[in-house]
Amino acid sequence: MVTAIPARPPRKLQHSLVLLVPAVLFGLLVTLQWRTQAERSELSVRYNTPLVDAARALQIEQDKLKADLAALRVQLDEIQRNSSTQTGAERELQLRIDELRATAGLTPLSGDGVAIQLDDARNVSVSARDVDRSICHATDLTDILNTAWKGGAQALAVNDERIVNSSSVYCVGSTIMVNGTLMSPPFNINVIGPQNALLGAFDDPNQLQDIKQRRDVQGLGFRVTRASAIHVPAYSGALNVRYAEPR
Amino acid sequence: MVRTNRGAIWAAIIALFLGFAAVTQVHSQEVYSRSLNLETPSSLTTLIANLSETNNELRNEIFDLRRDVSDARDSVANGKGTLTEAQRQLLRLRVFSAQSAVFGPGISIKVDGAFDERALSDLVNELRNAGAEAIAVNDVRVGPKSYFTGTADHLIAVDGRPLRGPWTVRAIGSPDVVYVAMTRTGGIIGQFELIYRSTHFAVTKETALDLPAQVAAAR
Repeated sequence: MVTAIPARPPRKLQHSLVLLVPAVLFGLLVTLQWRTQAERSELSVRYNTPLVDAARALQIEQDKLKADLAALRVQLDEIQRNSSTQTGAERELQLRIDELRATAGLTPLSGDGVAIQLDDARNVSVSARDVDRSICHATDLTDILNTAWKGGAQALAVNDERIVNSSSVYCVGSTIMVNGTLMSPPFNINVIGPQNALLGAFDDPNQLQDIKQRRDVQGLGFRVTRASAIHVPAYSGALNVRYAEPR
Repeated sequence: MVRTNRGAIWAAIIALFLGFAAVTQVHSQEVYSRSLNLETPSSLTTLIANLSETNNELRNEIFDLRRDVSDARDSVANGKGTLTEAQRQLLRLRVFSAQSAVFGPGISIKVDGAFDERALSDLVNELRNAGAEAIAVNDVRVGPKSYFTGTADHLIAVDGRPLRGPWTVRAIGSPDVVYVAMTRTGGIIGQFELIYRSTHFAVTKETALDLPAQVAAAR
């Protein structure tokens, strides 16, 4: 297209250049206007700000509630442990509780394992049609967690949210929630467990085929690395047991 | 004069094109930026409902724990020890970590026809998100580290145990809440029905379900 400009004497070229800047600006304005009208509905304009504010406020409140809950769990644990009248039966019970708390994911854990990073494709030009394949989805996370457990993971956390029996990955629009907490990429998944078995599970060409293909073609960020002394925090959410009763 | 104008017109056309290209470029990069501001009001409303639910559960548990802490303090002060609180805690942890058999109300989903391990994993994820407290596939209880694999003969293995279809997924929780979460318009069952067209999905509310404890994974 550029080669189509006929050669001009310098003075006349200047005349054309004078128009260049306003013309670019005009082009920008026309396109921006068209784009904006196409995408922002009336409802978005009217309701988005208060809704976004409400969501952010709830997340901030949640962080505080989780901290309060964690503190109370420590407090109860200390009272029971330091009870000077602890009998043999109580001590035995306490040991079983400690074991179960570890199994349930209520205690932090450090150890060797693998670190996984999952991220949207960045700085890669992708056509609108391919955008869907270049970003990470909730199902990518569930597939990765499944592979990690299959590889013998002992404990794992996604962006510091410990994965426990009640954990779920939930997706609304382009926002992902883990344990009811708002999250956005990159996702750092810390997995404690046998390194070779874990790496073997992730390297298996039959596992995570879709993610690996999108990494190679659309530039999706996906990396699994051996990691030592990684930390997985304790679960800080609620233990909902309201309908299920022990047999 | 005429020649100069022609040059200007060319320049203008190129500039318009450049302007368009610049905006398109900016826009295509914006698709990557995930921000709450870019969500639709309906998505935001769903997010807010989820956050509120999580926060309510946290507040309820904080309330219960405050009572437990004060009960434990009283017991210790009266020289009674904390056996009762500890026993209550033990039972709760056993249920939460799938270590004890449980009973309670909930829902049952029968999957008859073609299905696969990723869909089953997604279904379990959706049930957990809807607040299910205990889940079993056929007679295998799903635990915190459970994983799903496919086998060559179209069986689905849970923790390495191959299970033959039709599969029955049972979940203990609020029957109404879990039922609606599964069967709502655009929900996971609706999506499955479009993807696995010849498979039959039957979701029923149950008043009494009996689920076994988790057995150590077969490796």
